[in-house]
Amino acid sequence: MVEPYYSLLDTLRDEMQLTGTKKGCDEGDCGACTVLLNGKPVCSCLVLAHSAHDGEVTTIEGLANGQELHPVQQAFVEYGGLQCGYCTPGLILAAVGFLESGEEPTEENIKFALGGNLCRCTGYSKVIEAVVAAVPRPDRGSGRGTE
Amino acid sequence: MADFQTIGKNHIRVDALEKVTGKATYAGDIYLPGMLMCKLLTSTHSHARIKSIDTSAAEALPGVRCVITGEDYPDARFGSGALMDRRIMARDEVFYIGEPLAAVAADDEITALEAVELIKVEYQDIENVIDPLEAISDKSPEVHPDLEDFEGYGFALGGNNCTMLDADRGDVEQGFKDSDLIVEETYHTQPISQGFLEPMACVADVEANGRLDIYASTQGPYQVRAQLASVLDMPIGNIKVTAMEMGGGFGAKLRLALEAFPALLAIKTGRPVKLINTREEAFTLNGPRLETNIYLKTGVTNDGRILAREARSIFDMGAYLGAGPNSGVGHGLGAYNIPNFKLRSYGVYTNKIYVGSYRASGVADMTFATESHTDVIAHKLGIDPMEFRIKNALSDGDISVNGSVIPKNGLMETLEALKERMGLPKKLPSDDPKEGRGVGICVGEWRSGSGPSTAAINVNEDGTISLLTGSVDISGSDTSLAQIAAESLGLRLDQVVVAKRNTDMAPFTGPSGGSRIVYSQGRVVQNAAEDAKSKLLDLAADRLGVPADALECAGGAVYVQDNPPQSVDLGQLARMSLSSRGGPIIGTASLSSLPYAPVFNAQGAEVVVDRETGQVRVTRFVQAQDVGQAINPMGVEGQLEGGAVQGIGRALSEEILIDKDTGEVRNPSLATYLMPLSVDMPEIENILVEVPSADGPFGARAVAESPGFGPPAAIANAIFDAVGVRIKTLPLSAERVLAAIQGRPEDEYRMDVDELRSAEAP
Repeated sequence: MVEPYYSLLDTLRDEMQLTGTKKGCDEGDCGACTVLLNGKPVCSCLVLAHSAHDGEVTTIEGLANGQELHPVQQAFVEYGGLQCGYCTPGLILAAVGFLESGEEPTEENIKFALGGNLCRCTGYSKVIEAVVAAVPRPDRGSGRGTE
Repeated sequence: MADFQTIGKNHIRVDALEKVTGKATYAGDIYLPGMLMCKLLTSTHSHARIKSIDTSAAEALPGVRCVITGEDYPDARFGSGALMDRRIMARDEVFYIGEPLAAVAADDEITALEAVELIKVEYQDIENVIDPLEAISDKSPEVHPDLEDFEGYGFALGGNNCTMLDADRGDVEQGFKDSDLIVEETYHTQPISQGFLEPMACVADVEANGRLDIYASTQGPYQVRAQLASVLDMPIGNIKVTAMEMGGGFGAKLRLALEAFPALLAIKTGRPVKLINTREEAFTLNGPRLETNIYLKTGVTNDGRILAREARSIFDMGAYLGAGPNSGVGHGLGAYNIPNFKLRSYGVYTNKIYVGSYRASGVADMTFATESHTDVIAHKLGIDPMEFRIKNALSDGDISVNGSVIPKNGLMETLEALKERMGLPKKLPSDDPKEGRGVGICVGEWRSGSGPSTAAINVNEDGTISLLTGSVDISGSDTSLAQIAAESLGLRLDQVVVAKRNTDMAPFTGPSGGSRIVYSQGRVVQNAAEDAKSKLLDLAADRLGVPADALECAGGAVYVQDNPPQSVDLGQLARMSLSSRGGPIIGTASLSSLPYAPVFNAQGAEVVVDRETGQVRVTRFVQAQDVGQAINPMGVEGQLEGGAVQGIGRALSEEILIDKDTGEVRNPSLATYLMPLSVDMPEIENILVEVPSADGPFGARAVAESPGFGPPAAIANAIFDAVGVRIKTLPLSAERVLAAIQGRPEDEYRMDVDELRSAEAP
């Protein structure tokens, strides 16, 4: 049962066992719990579950199409945009939300869009590279040649 | 360079798919039937006798299943470092604000929290000491007056000095006499947090036969097992620790942390118990780093040779000796050959959160001091800072501070690579009078970590292999280990399965720390693969009727070197082995330590300093590191970039603020503890220098520790180059830089050297 004080984050994790969404601070500071609410990235720890009642929530579990990864997930894999992986679901959803927002996907805008997601392992370089590589482009190559 | 098939090429991490899909399972992701939630009550007094703890109201709350206090644990002390100075939960006395006093297990988290608030504690305050420079004096109140009774006592000077390390060589006084210039300075570094994104978490369960089943977020499952056995007074064999995916540790998760709380609650209730630290607890419970005060005195000749060094460092240990002050001695010289030295390093108790490890504990503090100092000396001598470093750099055959001979290494190559990439020496002109631009450099040094390592490799019936090690993957090391195994047996990476492990299943290994996994664990994986290979060749020799030394293993088969079509594939050999005399093929290897293999990392920062605000922006950051042999270059770059960015955070913004009267952490949140964001970071340029080590797998050296050391000094040196002010206190905040530009005195941290001298060990 979802109590009135449950956050979306606790509901996803504790009630639905969708544990791909991570809790790093429970205060809206780290971005690890980022999910898409009606297509927009939000910190799910700051959203009450009931206020998301009629909304469409996308978590990391819902991003891939069966075995086929979302292009942003694929880019994180190919470009090494992850290490410990704890911030990764949040970063991926923040990036997906940005790329679908219609804003111009310049490197600077991407950095700004990920500005609410802390990562302690990667130093961000490979994360940014991955998101830049995931920008939909007709002439896009196949990645950096990892084996 | 050797022609490798798998080593030295970029590979997708073996755990990448799990991590981008959210399927990777961390300790907090475990939900067991009937699981209780645990919450902690922690001390609100910095130093006090506990007159009473009343848990009755908490116990009476519906939904509460168990409440424990320090009295419920065996009356024993344990240690994170050399001294057994700590209880798992306060018993009669508290020593810092945040020290655990009681734990509750309840049906849900909210009930557990309510219960915690119902516990009543009566304290009787005792005089505290917060400032380590005050604590070291003999007039200070004592944190642990019973220090001499602690097991492991031996390196302490008494009072609050819980440990002292020293190293001497040559005649330091004569060295100063022979010098043309003596430079004497003090440096101060700030308390910092490891900043791992996953707060510590643990699920404890009890099996039907009474064994404890621990799911932990840890770098050292065997260390957790041993320490848990000690604080619960249980046989080691009654505990199983499973290391789950770990969301960052950086040293904080090397040892027993919170596991003993849910463990005892699980024993008492017979139900699984989960405890996840809050972010606040991540700052206060798990051993971050506290301040360091460092005194340096160096004598040099006019032509730039360093003759003598005296270094004294005081490491604030907080309430307990966690990671000790080893680096004050081990890293007192930097990357230089200094013939005469006298190094002292002191650990001091205060009534604060106790320190733990963080990416080579204290080395970053020492590097800030010694490498700023190096720059100061070079400028005073009028010698280019890079040339001064090159002139004094350690070379093969020199003797290191601990007396070992410096083996072949890439120090000179890293310095030359940095010099060339940055075009040093150079001045960065600025057309805007409101800003100054400058460049600064730094060299960091680390050994390649070692320690007990084991590995086992099974050859499966289809010719794939399963690799079993006890090491926790904290940085992509599983991928590197798989590559090493694949390379050794001539397999593709996708033919290697890396087993998930627990302490029952995997052979013993040391913790994942000190950059030891690829170097030592990698070596033992290589040895285990060689062991498996020799068994495969023996079987194949029988089968093919040729001597084993005429055979080679590659492409998933063993073949006759002179006649490659004459071959037998590994799957066939594995199937044959099932009924062979020697039985199924398993390659094993074990080692206790590998020789010293130094790792040098040279870094350069270009900065813009706003003269009106003191704001420092890093516009370019270059690093060259001798990695020996990059196993997975993409992973190596990721390590280097992550380390450098942690160092930049430490340089510019990160600081745990400590209340001067109570020692309380004033900013235990990620909104107020300022870690770098994507928007803050310059692009990091990496240069991988590859001077193979003698003993690492395929020549690899350690990677992860070194890149974090240099940024504070490189940036401080660049600030000096840009605007002519020398900041000796971290972080290099805008306030501090502006005060220096305006000629206001920097908060002066001074160390009373005479006082220390009188405290000299006999």
